[in-house]
Amino acid sequence: MHVVVCVKQIPDPAVPGALNADHTLKREGKPILDESDSYGVEMALQLVDAAGGGEVTLISMAANEETAGLRTALAMGAAKAVLVSDPACAGSDALGTAKALAKAVERAGSVDLVLTATESSDGYTGTVPAQMAELLGWPALTFAKKVDIADGTVTIQRQTEAGYDTVQASLPALVSVTAGVVEPRYPSFKGIMAAKNKPVDICTAADLGLDGQLGWAGARQTITNVENAPARQAGEKFEDDGTGFEKVVSFLENLKVI
Amino acid sequence: MDFTESDEHALLRESVRKVAATFGHEYYARCTNDDVRPDDLWQAAADHGFLGVHLPEEYGGGGAGIYELAIVCEELAAAGTPLLLILVSAAISAEVIAKFGSPTQKSHWLPGLTTGTKMVFAITEPDAGSNSHRISTTAKRDGDVYRLNGSKTYISGVDESPQVLVVCRTGVDEETQRAKLSLFVVDTDTPGLHRTNIPMEIRAPEKQFQLFFDNVEISADRLIGDEGEGLRQVFEGLNPERIMSAMICNGVGRYALGLASQYANDRAVWGTPIGRHQGIAHPLATAKIELELARLMTQKAAWLHDNSTDRVAAGEAANMAKFASADAGLRCLDQAIQTHGGNGLASEYGLADLWGIVRLLKIAPVSREMVLNFISTASLGLPKSY
Ligand SMILES: Cc1cc2nc3c(=O)[nH]c(=O)nc-3n(C[C@H](O)[C@H](O)[C@H](O)COP(=O)(O)OP(=O)(O)OC[C@H]3O[C@@H](n4cnc5c(N)ncnc54)[C@H](O)[C@@H]3O)c2cc1C
Ligand SMILES: Cc1cc2nc3c(=O)[nH]c(=O)nc-3n(C[C@H](O)[C@H](O)[C@H](O)COP(=O)(O)OP(=O)(O)OC[C@H]3O[C@@H](n4cnc5c(N)ncnc54)[C@H](O)[C@@H]3O)c2cc1C
Repeated sequence: MHVVVCVKQIPDPAVPGALNADHTLKREGKPILDESDSYGVEMALQLVDAAGGGEVTLISMAANEETAGLRTALAMGAAKAVLVSDPACAGSDALGTAKALAKAVERAGSVDLVLTATESSDGYTGTVPAQMAELLGWPALTFAKKVDIADGTVTIQRQTEAGYDTVQASLPALVSVTAGVVEPRYPSFKGIMAAKNKPVDICTAADLGLDGQLGWAGARQTITNVENAPARQAGEKFEDDGTGFEKVVSFLENLKVI
Repeated sequence: MDFTESDEHALLRESVRKVAATFGHEYYARCTNDDVRPDDLWQAAADHGFLGVHLPEEYGGGGAGIYELAIVCEELAAAGTPLLLILVSAAISAEVIAKFGSPTQKSHWLPGLTTGTKMVFAITEPDAGSNSHRISTTAKRDGDVYRLNGSKTYISGVDESPQVLVVCRTGVDEETQRAKLSLFVVDTDTPGLHRTNIPMEIRAPEKQFQLFFDNVEISADRLIGDEGEGLRQVFEGLNPERIMSAMICNGVGRYALGLASQYANDRAVWGTPIGRHQGIAHPLATAKIELELARLMTQKAAWLHDNSTDRVAAGEAANMAKFASADAGLRCLDQAIQTHGGNGLASEYGLADLWGIVRLLKIAPVSREMVLNFISTASLGLPKSY
């Protein structure tokens, strides 16, 4: 079985982020593997294991031929990676990103399943997975909290507000997984050393036949303005006169959490 | 010259940090309080290949060196979960067997040491103390066996190790009249080997023991390397041990400064964070400088051990690193406690319980006075006082 995992390499959230004059995110320091995608990587490794063999390929689009985040996922056990990196990608919107990633899936060879996270930690539009599936012409199964594969069919438990739906599709398909679907492993020392020599196929927009379709040139979306998120409102303070618990209970009831 | 660590080193740090963080200092303190061993953490570290990073790949190790083991040791300590037995098991016993063991011995002992089995180390004796030449535990050859008699003290972790590497006297050098030493792997449950627990005031989960060898019979193939070459051989493991003890101090120093900076930013008693008072900020900054100097020397020592043919330089660096790191780690910890005020001594804040282990590392594995003796004579050419 051949599973492809989309892994976004994002600026380290521990380092204060900054925007360029054109409102895009500065991507200067060493990027890290988006933690949301570590679940996909783990899921893929487990599925290949359960299938009794196969391979996990990573796909990423990132600036400056950055591979730092990919190395983490390769160290976890993925076999190889396709990295789309091209100055022409700068300014890509989510659809442009989906086009690049879909082409990269095709470049990866014959693929049974594509895994993504439900949304990235830096952009979090949550739109790339469905767009990719559409471009590939494959079914999209989203918000998976459990994934099983048997006899050419993928079955997921799709997280809903009330519980979950069971959704099924035939392969090949694209599945977006939620955080917590599995417990991601941490790379072992052997994994880390092996990752050093695993192949990363770096390709450009032209290599993918997407000349002129990515980056500012292809974007249908423009960022016209950026505003700070509204400051968090001060919380409500209760003076406990012996009936404090009632106020807490009614507050929680209003939130519908109890 | 390049001071940036490779991508692989960065990944190793990150991975050790994450594994250790799933346990955290609370786990460590709970093990101490509940008198249980930190086996789960030890095993997790072994399962990720961290405890055998420096051992040859053909025996299940990572094929890297002491620099990489130092990263493991430092990051575990920096997470508030220092693993003391790395010093004896991975840094001395495993290193000595990897360097001097026969192929049969290596394939017998090393694979287990990479997967989590421990082998502790016994050199210290009640009467010999810092003077290893006075070691009086003897091993006498008798056909296919050696018989061991004598005692050892302050031997860590004997209760959690199936084997202990023991330094014994096997003869006397005719010229110098000094003991000729040899190294033996002894099963901790061999008949005639008795142990008693030494109650300590260090708040760490590992225990210390006095060992008594009463005609302990071991097969002659338990001799590691050449008979009479024990001291020279053990030095190959003592430098790594010094480097690891330095990294435990550096790691705890980082852990303490991390907590102190956080606290000094958050805590305000005069309407401004206490970290704004230079009385708090400057001692922390001084501790940070000392810590980084000590880490740098420790990294150099590890690099020299792995790469340099100049063994004197490697020994000097390991000793200096050990000395400087114990002082720096203790200073960081002490200032972190001061920064926390009364909270610094409360269990909840996870600082004061680490004092014992860092304080220990000014005494063991080699005391600061013995380091100064070594630097005086080996580095400065001063006459020996003893
Ligand atoms: C080099 C580069 C330059 C960019 N420049 C701009 C710009 O100038 N202006 C702008 O508005 N935005 C820019 N972006 C960001 C981009 O437009 C989108 O934010 C992003 O790629 C997709 O949207 P999202 O992060 O909201 O994805 P989501 O839909 O939230 O992501 C869902 C999942 O899809 C997968 N995925 C998404 N993106 C990637 C990726 N790049 N690689 C691998 N997997 C991925 C992951 O699994 C992710 O968790 C740039 C991105 C890159 C990599
Ligand atoms: C918790 C703990 C764990 C330990 N674990 C192990 C272990 O696993 N295996 C093991 O073999 N040993 C172990 N040790 C022993 C440790 O290595 C020794 O305690 C240490 O080497 C000092 O030896 P000593 O205690 O005999 O001190 P002594 O040699 O009696 O020294 C007492 C004091 O005199 C000073 N001194 C001695 N000689 C000189 C001199 N020539 N010049 C100046 N000052 C001098 C010393 O520096 C020290 O301050 C452990 C000790 C402790 C406390």
